[in-house]
Amino acid sequence: MSSNSAVLFNVAKCIGCGSCTVACKLWNDLEFGENNAHGFDAKLSADSWTVVQYHTIENNAGQNVFRFAKRQCMHCLEPSCASVCFANAITVDENGAVVYSPKKCVGCRYCLIACPFDVPKYEWNKVFPSVMKCQLCADKLAEGETPSCVSVCPTGALIFGDRDELLEKAHAIIATSAATENMEATHYVNEVYGEKQAGGTRWLYISDVPFAELGFPASVPKKSIPGIVHDYTKWKPGVFLGAAAAFSAIGLYTKRRLKIEEEKASENGGENNV
Amino acid sequence: MSKGNKKEKIDPKLTRRQFLGLTAAAGTMAALTGCDVVDKVGGNDNWLPTQYRNSGNYPVNAKGRIPIDPDNPSIMRIDEKCILCGQCIEVCQNTQTIHDFYKLPVLDTFMCVHCGQCSLWCPTGAIQEKSYIDEVNEAINDPEKIVVVTISPGVRVSIGEEFGLEAGTWAQEQMVSAIRQLGVDYVFNIDFTSDSTIMEEGSELVHRLTNDGVLPQFTSCCPGWVKFIEFYYPELIPNISSTKSPVAQMGPLVKTYWAKKKGIDPDKIVVVNVPPCLCKKFEAKRPEMNGAKRYWEENEGTDYGNMMDNDYVLSTRELAKMIKSAGIDFVNLPDGKFDSILSEGSGAAVIFANNGGVMEAAIRSAYFLVTGEDPPEDLYHLTPVRDDNLDGYAEASLEVPGFGTLNVAVCNGLHAARTLCEEIKQGKRANLHFLEVMTCPGGCIGGGGQARETVPPTDHVRKARIDSIYAADEAMEKANRVSYKNSEIAILYKEFLGEPLSEMSELLLHTKYIDRSKSVHPKDTSDYVDTYFSGLE
Repeated sequence: MSSNSAVLFNVAKCIGCGSCTVACKLWNDLEFGENNAHGFDAKLSADSWTVVQYHTIENNAGQNVFRFAKRQCMHCLEPSCASVCFANAITVDENGAVVYSPKKCVGCRYCLIACPFDVPKYEWNKVFPSVMKCQLCADKLAEGETPSCVSVCPTGALIFGDRDELLEKAHAIIATSAATENMEATHYVNEVYGEKQAGGTRWLYISDVPFAELGFPASVPKKSIPGIVHDYTKWKPGVFLGAAAAFSAIGLYTKRRLKIEEEKASENGGENNV
Repeated sequence: MSKGNKKEKIDPKLTRRQFLGLTAAAGTMAALTGCDVVDKVGGNDNWLPTQYRNSGNYPVNAKGRIPIDPDNPSIMRIDEKCILCGQCIEVCQNTQTIHDFYKLPVLDTFMCVHCGQCSLWCPTGAIQEKSYIDEVNEAINDPEKIVVVTISPGVRVSIGEEFGLEAGTWAQEQMVSAIRQLGVDYVFNIDFTSDSTIMEEGSELVHRLTNDGVLPQFTSCCPGWVKFIEFYYPELIPNISSTKSPVAQMGPLVKTYWAKKKGIDPDKIVVVNVPPCLCKKFEAKRPEMNGAKRYWEENEGTDYGNMMDNDYVLSTRELAKMIKSAGIDFVNLPDGKFDSILSEGSGAAVIFANNGGVMEAAIRSAYFLVTGEDPPEDLYHLTPVRDDNLDGYAEASLEVPGFGTLNVAVCNGLHAARTLCEEIKQGKRANLHFLEVMTCPGGCIGGGGQARETVPPTDHVRKARIDSIYAADEAMEKANRVSYKNSEIAILYKEFLGEPLSEMSELLLHTKYIDRSKSVHPKDTSDYVDTYFSGLE
């Protein structure tokens, strides 16, 4: 499988069956809990790495219709969770999956704050807690298989493949729908969510209703979060070295002046003492 | 023993106290440093059904599961039990042509006709009926309420299976006794309203035949089939008989005719239906199913608020569960009898449980309605409409004196029904007069609420139930095998309804249907014609 793996989720093809949420829990051996991981109030949690959120949205024809948004870790190309992790517990593996190593984790939870999509969850009720989030079934990918959720989708709403090819496909679907004059056909929003968000993610979405109404954060910057931080932090070495140099110079200068003054004083010492 | 020897003996290199201390310390250190933690989150089971363990994007045939509305009144699913085996899709898509027979994106509904076949196919019991046992128990324990349980024909040949009896064993008498032991006040027989259905639906057929009405007339006993038409073939809604299903007729009769005779406040009556069906749970909640409320409002000026005709619907499985919870020894119960005035049933009513039974029952009475004579011998076992091979379809042509040839057809399973609808739409069934459709394979005896005798259901079990039902009809006196000779029905019409299709009948025993085509973009299935039936015969 390509190292540039990605998944395309077509909102217009999802029927809300929740197979993906069950597959995720089966494969990752997560607790089912009292509430289903699909429904109107489904939320990501330590035990639900993926959820299907139900929404009632007015469509193009003015009819209130069901739309279902599958949510999980977006697997950013440049993940901010990994960049803030000083213990190197979150890394990007050879297939592009953003994976987490509980052995290295020190439990600082910086990643929870750093994620622009509010994805990682913490096992608050455990004695030795971990950060919980979708691993893109990295172990399945390593064996050449598709992620669990994709493998069980009965309608083809989820497609796994190479990110560039999927982007091409997504844009082709949008272009075809824009060109059709049949008002009853599905008309997609002219955006692939995840193409640019946070500098690009491995989960890509196309939809016939606005993403904001599906609960996707519109405020996520188009640039990668580590990239934005880098704009500032790149000056850090210069500032530190410059400051060090400046203070060294000042120190040397002061020291030298003191020495000269001391020498002058000792030269004139005899006279003063007389 | 000298002191020195003893000292040597109790001087091991490591004392027990030290050993325990070291073990505790090592354990604590291991836990703190994470020695016991595998370097991955989640559990270590890593299991998915084998069909999902292919490399790459190879297609998988049995895949995923059907969507279920959280508000579905008939079925629910426990996610923890779901193994994504794909069996629900198999039956929903291939037997019933519901799943994947609509275009995406979805509109304002989770497509479902509430047949409940998925709950019979689900190997782990993840898909179950939505249970109303608690509500019914509450009503039974409420001294203010009068609980009336009404039983459909199909239940009595399946409920015994829950108690170890052979498939199809007739258990009507034990069933009635068991229900009485649960503390229920009255037990009525839906066979009674099956006979009133025949009186209404048969009269309606005669009316359509003699007044150039819309033909073919479709039976309306099966709420799944009705919802199927409302979704997929709204243009055929005028073909559906306006007669309510037998279950839907019982509630309003209990809360008007019976309540008045007994002098009971209808608001205190709780009608609990026990059909072999899960769709009846949906049907009971249809907003137009409040004939009794409208009757009291129009005729007596009493407002009963949101009173519905039928309060709760329990499946065969739920009734069995209640009997088991009460610790009743079902098999050895004495014979119980239904309560009178809403329980007498003809043999024609009993066979409602089989696909083809409604047709046969209707023809026996229609013959009488058209000719004024008792039907000839062969109409008492109308084999051409008995779907003996369980292939989903049967048809017959009958000579009726004074009318001519009557062409009838029966089918079960919505795949066959869809094919017929397409043929009717394309004008290929112009000579057909009457069509009976049952959503569940085999008819009500194979209903979604029946005992899970085999998983998935097999024709062997269906056949056993069908034979048991026909045997019960055959065992009756000939005079008791036609609806129009039902004496309690005669009293009902004489004292209360007047005659079939009267104004009172229209109010209580007839209904109207809703065009639901706005909720679904159907896929084009016009090419179904020629493909399904060519495989038969």
